Amino acid sequence: MIIGKPLDRVDGPAKVTGAAKYAADQHIPGLTHAVLVTSAIARGKIIRIDTGQAARSPGVLSVITHHNGPRFAYQPPKHPWIYGQTHVPLQNDVIYHSGQIVAVVIADTLERARYAATLIQIDYAVETPEISVEANLDKAFIPERGPFNLRYEYRRGDAHGALATAPVRVSGRYRTSMQHHNPMEPTATTAVWDGDHLTLYETTQALAFTRQKTAEMLGVDQKQVRVVSPYLGGGFGAKGYVWPHTFITAAIARSLGRPVKLVLTRAQSYTMHGHRAETVQELSVGATRDGTITAFVHSAVSQTSMLNEVSWEEMDATTQLYACPNAELTRRVVRLNLGTPTPMRAPLSVGGYALESIMDELSHATGVNPLELRLRNYSTHNPENPSQPWGTGKFLRDCYELGAKLFDWPHRLPRPRSTRRDGGWIGVGMATAFHPTYVSAATVSIRMDADGKALVRSATQDIGTGTYTIVTQTVADALGVPAKSVRFELGDTNFAPSAPSIGSRTAASVGTAAHHAGSALKDKVIAIAVADHRSPLYGIPAAQVTAADGQLFHRLDPRRRETYADVLRRHGPVDSEAVWPAAPGISRSYGAVFAEVTVDDATGEVRVTRLVGAFDIGRVLNAKTARSQAIGGMIWGLGTALTEHTIVDEHLGRILTANLSGYLVPVEADVPDVDIAFVDKADPAASDIGAKGVGELASNGATAAIANAVCHATGRRVRDLPITPDKLL
Amino acid sequence: MKSFAYVSARDVPTAVSAIAGSPNAKFLGGGTNLVDLMRGNIEQPDTIVDITRLPLTGVDLLPDGGVRIGALVRNSHLAAHPLIRSRYPVLSQAILLGASAQLRNMATVGGNLLQRTRCLYFYDTAAACNKRAPGSGCDAIGGFNRNHAILGVSDNCLATHPSDMCVALAMLDATVEVESTRGVRRIPMNEFHVLPGDTPHVETSLAADELVTAVELPSVAVAANSRYRKVRDRASYAFALVSVAAALEVTGTTVTQVRLALGGVSAKPWRATKAEEVLLGAPATEESFRQAAAAELAAATARPGNEFKIGLAERTIVAVLRELVTKGDAA
Repeated sequence: MIIGKPLDRVDGPAKVTGAAKYAADQHIPGLTHAVLVTSAIARGKIIRIDTGQAARSPGVLSVITHHNGPRFAYQPPKHPWIYGQTHVPLQNDVIYHSGQIVAVVIADTLERARYAATLIQIDYAVETPEISVEANLDKAFIPERGPFNLRYEYRRGDAHGALATAPVRVSGRYRTSMQHHNPMEPTATTAVWDGDHLTLYETTQALAFTRQKTAEMLGVDQKQVRVVSPYLGGGFGAKGYVWPHTFITAAIARSLGRPVKLVLTRAQSYTMHGHRAETVQELSVGATRDGTITAFVHSAVSQTSMLNEVSWEEMDATTQLYACPNAELTRRVVRLNLGTPTPMRAPLSVGGYALESIMDELSHATGVNPLELRLRNYSTHNPENPSQPWGTGKFLRDCYELGAKLFDWPHRLPRPRSTRRDGGWIGVGMATAFHPTYVSAATVSIRMDADGKALVRSATQDIGTGTYTIVTQTVADALGVPAKSVRFELGDTNFAPSAPSIGSRTAASVGTAAHHAGSALKDKVIAIAVADHRSPLYGIPAAQVTAADGQLFHRLDPRRRETYADVLRRHGPVDSEAVWPAAPGISRSYGAVFAEVTVDDATGEVRVTRLVGAFDIGRVLNAKTARSQAIGGMIWGLGTALTEHTIVDEHLGRILTANLSGYLVPVEADVPDVDIAFVDKADPAASDIGAKGVGELASNGATAAIANAVCHATGRRVRDLPITPDKLL
Repeated sequence: MKSFAYVSARDVPTAVSAIAGSPNAKFLGGGTNLVDLMRGNIEQPDTIVDITRLPLTGVDLLPDGGVRIGALVRNSHLAAHPLIRSRYPVLSQAILLGASAQLRNMATVGGNLLQRTRCLYFYDTAAACNKRAPGSGCDAIGGFNRNHAILGVSDNCLATHPSDMCVALAMLDATVEVESTRGVRRIPMNEFHVLPGDTPHVETSLAADELVTAVELPSVAVAANSRYRKVRDRASYAFALVSVAAALEVTGTTVTQVRLALGGVSAKPWRATKAEEVLLGAPATEESFRQAAAAELAAATARPGNEFKIGLAERTIVAVLRELVTKGDAA
């Protein structure tokens, strides 16, 4: 078995040698370069836009504004999914947010396009933008659910009544910041037309979305659009949906009659493909004196944009994680002159932060150890649907046990502000990690050639998580061949259609389809062999033949054997294809995260000194890539807790920190050694290969664990993220 | 980026004559700040005089026990130099807490002195900034000014000087040597950077045609017991909210020598002379340290966004002095 082993990334050598070609790496004859000009103001109108100087600048081929902008065949609705946003730039003079596309310069070189873009003069009629969630709370409203069917309201039992009569009540008002995804690879589109057919080299987490929506906007058939994205340098949600820069580039390439490449600058990536919304949350919990929870009341307000009604900051952990008879959840939005929010690894994490913080507050209020409190309220059935047992879908107890042991949690001193070391207060905290993970239809095809090598293909994506590697392992095991006999190609809509890489679904969906395609191919080859009188396996019942190490053999008489290559040399190539799942599915992943922090007495600086995560992600497909995902996710949680915050000027509506110097992603020095453990028990209800999602799950838990540790260290509860030194002075 | 002429200078006289005739020329050292600013169209020089080939890369012991540092010595080289590490640990520490390893490998001493503020509004050409565009106003004053100055501010500008190295140099009473076609001039470190007043675009006392050629450190015995402490929002690669450079000598229980400078609080590295006055001859106690810190910060003017810096600066001063007492005892 290769599945589960820490196989090195099969795409690693290509990536470290530079052989891997990303979306912006395509060398296309006659390529031209587009540079975007963006709005300096956050609200108002363009009253004059002078492109004369830019148009006359050397090398410039075209300057596009709303006066001559491409016109599209479709207008995304206010619930734009799977578009990223409703607003289509370059259609009129209205400005909805700072950083909106207002002009595009196309030139023969990138440098000339960039220079010409600086020559465009724009006069605006400026209006006062709405920027603050807090200042607009009175205007908050509950959006329609829209086609994605986001849930904004939920009730069971009588939460307010139960809260009012609860012997212990704790309430908190939590604030989380606007955040940005910041994948290392800049977002890029290269559009190449050949007659009526478009090839898009695109940074996308969802080939099919890009194909479908680009075709829709351009008024062409999907079959005329090919999307290519073999490698992705991270996405985290920013590359999940279809944003205007993609179809604008494609439209310009069509009208120009030349291939066009657009690479967003780092600053532009802060306004072109969404962000995590700022939230203000009020959460109350009622409980008995022994910590048995009787009620949750959770209301949240988050930002949306002027033309969209959407909040991706889902808060289902409050209603699904702990056994609790009464619960109410309400989510509202306020319209601001900022871009449209989009999912960011991971949608439940900021709601989960509030939930796991109030659990800690309840622990302080009741005197029940935080871990014991969570066990006391453990749910064995879905609290939203008591007839649904979690069954093999939940091994959270194992996570608590594994994590507590690794961290040495039982030996903590319960009293806050009880441990000092080197001028700082030491604190420990823990939190539960919880996230839904999904599966949806993935198709995997395999062709085995006469040399016995399998070429596996699927129009899926490897967003950096390890899809290439785990599918290679899965197919190798299903066929009974070594991993080196399997080559996996992905990232091209010419391959069989597959699921988007959003919602932590790729490993389970594509992995299972790959398993079935591999098994089907093995069965086909066995059937050929046993029916072929030239084969040593001739006449054996097919069920008694199996394969290992590239050899097919009789289970009862293993001396009767031949290789895949032997069979296929006689017979010719064999193909198989499998689709899985037949219908979309949801499962849930769990974890327990433990953190130790030091808070400097004099300066309030928080440093995380230990971080432990134990996760139930079903069956682990690759111990190395899963561990990397878990570590990465926990660092995301650390960033949310301590450093990350997109700063917007409240008067200008300008994002002031639109670069990696101003927007503080944790650096190496912020990250301690991270210990990871996996329960590694298959969940056959989640997928046929027993795997669930890990990417989003792992970014849950750490934020609250760290915030709880800060409270344990200092005795002060900061309910406003990130926890910067000034908040602890 | 605008087009510009590029001149490569081979020696100091060529470099200073190249710039003498071009009022809108800039010297290019490590380029870690200037090139960024040019890419953002914040700096738009018409001529770049590349000085990286000039022979200004020495770190030499002077007869009086001081050290002369060539203006083109890379930050990482200086921080690692045995003379600096043994005699001026505060300077080595300050440099190593600045920027990132990659940037320190490129950045020069002269460039570090002349780096521009990291005020977020200075970098956003859509915002008003008196430093970038004199007379346009200051959006930081009513805006996001958490990172901004509290000492020596004016109604025109709240920007801070971002350097860590300069805070240590100010504490050490360094001298900056500059040269132009008119000759050589020596500027005391504490007069090199100037407060914003009505002209925040004027950041130093360096004339437009002058080249920084060296920095000289005097012999400072007390610097052997010195420390640089930087408080910031993440553990590395972030600018100081507040930083403190300090050196302390305690004889018996009395402060007999002290030097103190602050970073992240002003448009210049802030030599804390008022605090030094309070401390000199005072008992080396927590109480004295608090009084000294309060005396220095008494003149602070904060906005709601950066008010915390006053308390943070006081607490950091006290913590660093306390640590130096302990360290001095141990030595």
